[in-house]
Amino acid sequence: MIRTNTLRLLTASALVMSLSACVSVTSAPAGPYKVGAATVTLGHEWSDISAIMFARPAKVRLLSMDGPLLNRLYVTDGLAPGEFMVKPMAKERPTPTYRAGMAPTELVEFVTDSVAALDYQRVETDNLRPAKVGSAEGLRFDLKAKTKEGLDISGAAQVAEVGGKLYVVLYIAPSEHYYAAELPEVETVLGSVKVG
Amino acid sequence: MPRVLRPRAKGLALLAAAVLAAAPAGAQPRAPHLRPADTSDEGGIWALSEKAELAARQSAERNRDPALNGYVTGVVAKLAPEYQGDIRVYVMDRPFFNAQMAPNGYGEVWSGLLLRVETEDELAFVLGHEVGHFSENHSIEAYRALKARLGATMAVQFAVAAVAMGAAVNAGSAQGASDIMRAAGALNDLLYLGQLAAYFGFSRENEVEADGLGFQRAVKAGYDPAAGAHLWRSLIAETGASSFKRVREQEARVSIFSTHPLSSDRVKALDDLAAKTPTKASAAADRKAYRAAVRPHLAAWLKDDLRRRDYGQSLALIDRLSAQGEDLGVLTFYRAEAYRQRRGEGDLELARKAYAQAGAHADAPVAAWRTLGDLSLQAGDRPAAKTAYETYLARAPQAQDRWLVEASLKKLSEGSAT
Amino acid sequence: MSVFRSIAVTACLFLAACTTTNTRLADKSPTKPAAGAKILIVQPDIELGLLTVTGLQEARADWSTQARDNIKRELEEAAGAKSHVFRSLDPSTVEDPRALQLLRLHEAVGNSIRGFNYGLYSLPTKKSFDWTLGAGTQGLAQTYDADYALFTTGRGSYSSGGRKAAMVGAALLGVSLPMAQQYAFTSLVDLRTGKVVWFNVAVAGTDSDMRSPEGAETFAKALLKDAPL
Repeated sequence: MIRTNTLRLLTASALVMSLSACVSVTSAPAGPYKVGAATVTLGHEWSDISAIMFARPAKVRLLSMDGPLLNRLYVTDGLAPGEFMVKPMAKERPTPTYRAGMAPTELVEFVTDSVAALDYQRVETDNLRPAKVGSAEGLRFDLKAKTKEGLDISGAAQVAEVGGKLYVVLYIAPSEHYYAAELPEVETVLGSVKVG
Repeated sequence: MPRVLRPRAKGLALLAAAVLAAAPAGAQPRAPHLRPADTSDEGGIWALSEKAELAARQSAERNRDPALNGYVTGVVAKLAPEYQGDIRVYVMDRPFFNAQMAPNGYGEVWSGLLLRVETEDELAFVLGHEVGHFSENHSIEAYRALKARLGATMAVQFAVAAVAMGAAVNAGSAQGASDIMRAAGALNDLLYLGQLAAYFGFSRENEVEADGLGFQRAVKAGYDPAAGAHLWRSLIAETGASSFKRVREQEARVSIFSTHPLSSDRVKALDDLAAKTPTKASAAADRKAYRAAVRPHLAAWLKDDLRRRDYGQSLALIDRLSAQGEDLGVLTFYRAEAYRQRRGEGDLELARKAYAQAGAHADAPVAAWRTLGDLSLQAGDRPAAKTAYETYLARAPQAQDRWLVEASLKKLSEGSAT
Repeated sequence: MSVFRSIAVTACLFLAACTTTNTRLADKSPTKPAAGAKILIVQPDIELGLLTVTGLQEARADWSTQARDNIKRELEEAAGAKSHVFRSLDPSTVEDPRALQLLRLHEAVGNSIRGFNYGLYSLPTKKSFDWTLGAGTQGLAQTYDADYALFTTGRGSYSSGGRKAAMVGAALLGVSLPMAQQYAFTSLVDLRTGKVVWFNVAVAGTDSDMRSPEGAETFAKALLKDAPL
């Protein structure tokens, strides 16, 4: 005898259950994808998993192809001074905050510390270079990190300040297979950021 | 294993003194090379501990420096010669004050602890404390106590709370989507020791007993009897300097010392023990020797500590570590980093001064010059910015942000030309 | 934990006698490994415990070991019966960094499958079952001289006598208590392509107690249902 429906429930956690009533994963089709004042152009369909993310401020959207363990593409609306990419779980556990007047290396630090706040370990940057984001001067850099369990992670990030706000696009995926698999698409997305 | 009933709240200092005075009647430290039956609850916890040990061995957080691990293992060997081969301690790079030992003898010492300890004597006291938990089988005791408590209340919702706590306690940070994914996985791994440990914790009596046993072992191995009380005192002071009211008010309970709640009772108990034991001199030499053992990791651990973003605690810690007059380039650089990241009223100015001070020491990280340049530029001190940037480029010609610094220098020279 | 169990309880408190499975296939009619294909059987990762009357799970090393040995033997026999050659791999002995990365990636992929093929959410970008570890698995194929890898993860608990009584009592009052249940996930990875060609979940019934050789046989049969072996 085979029953199928209970199994769906078996793998769901209490935490998921409590959220399930009000949220869902949606499609982000190829073409323009708007996050507040920012727009990126997706080369193919992504899954918008923002709704099932914990600790996600409203200005941060999260796209994925295969789920958050296998690829994540964060796109933010302009973060104002005092705002963050990762929501703190408690007052005593603050997360990195964007501040007015940050030097370029501090913007890089803001992103890498945010990645660390997502519980990735040994986050390092490489290949810092200039990037054009619309008419603004942005920064582009690569990341290396590890999950707690020791899975190697690679990443690509781009930041740009426009009108006193910080726009971030961040892509992270396991270095084994997954990072390279979406990198060409991600390069296109990084090059497509428009503000306003 | 059979245990004597301990007086609750009858003066913990007395209790600890009793532990030292004589092995308490009825307490049976575990025999070396013991392995519980697979069919017992203890056997189950052992099996899970073995899995947790494998995960720790492969973890990204593991510090793989053989010299450092050898140093820590050497201290354990001095403290617990009878458990030679039973105890395996791994150093984990986690910026929290913690050490733990599973009943199968697998132990962890976190970098946040190694950073805060000032002498091998203090380290020996903490490790002795953990050996105490191990020899007295406290985790099994705590598990059985939990089971008995639950028996009275029929806590059906227990497991749900455990999942939620597991997510909150283990990480203490926002994990994003992996929370959901991990929660799904955590259902299956709920038996996992890490989570068990996270929710059953040791009783205050267990902690006091372990303090006494740690003291006893450390003194027997020739370490300073005053070390334990000194360490706990330093930690309580650091907690009092926290940037967060709730941390300051909780007497070293939350935040970084969560698994080993500290209280003034415990310090008093250790003071009383130390008063009855001849003390050992030459603390300065001990500090120097210990610093030499951890020096290769000092900068990385300070950087990790700042990620907790409790700058009040970090600055108090850096003050304490600076007192012996060594590693001032590194320590002053991270003091500057703390000010810069905190960015409160006047902090950027304090940071700028501290970067400049750090730069006067040979061991200052080269980033001190670049950041000094950035902050000087912001403060409108163009000559200082130019000097700092030039020093940076001279010292780090291969820096990945060279192009950025060169662009800033170009702007500076164009600015001064006009 | 107890919430999903409670739901499972309402659904099958009195139906728990049978072993159930729920399979996902990359291809509805997959090409079966040729006779003589080499299957790398990764040491089953099994944790079993006792669900005490108070709802606490107590790990039982003896049950876990018995079940692991039983399941492993059944998997080997199943592979052998189809004229495949099997090899064994104990993940705790792996030192090669790349192989370790692939084992960890399999964990992430397996968790993702459980999350999105069996969980509450599905991904619009995952309409077909096309999960992969990537071509890096060719390294595993070479290192371990194998064509496929078979991974098994089992978890569960068994009720104590008192627990069962409490459950029945609570059910009469219309309250559902967490029920002891055992289940396992298994996946078959084509090491030449990295594709997860087959994934299955099985929930044990009273006829498939994996602690006993007979129960393990029934359970392993259910677990390998529709396996393209």
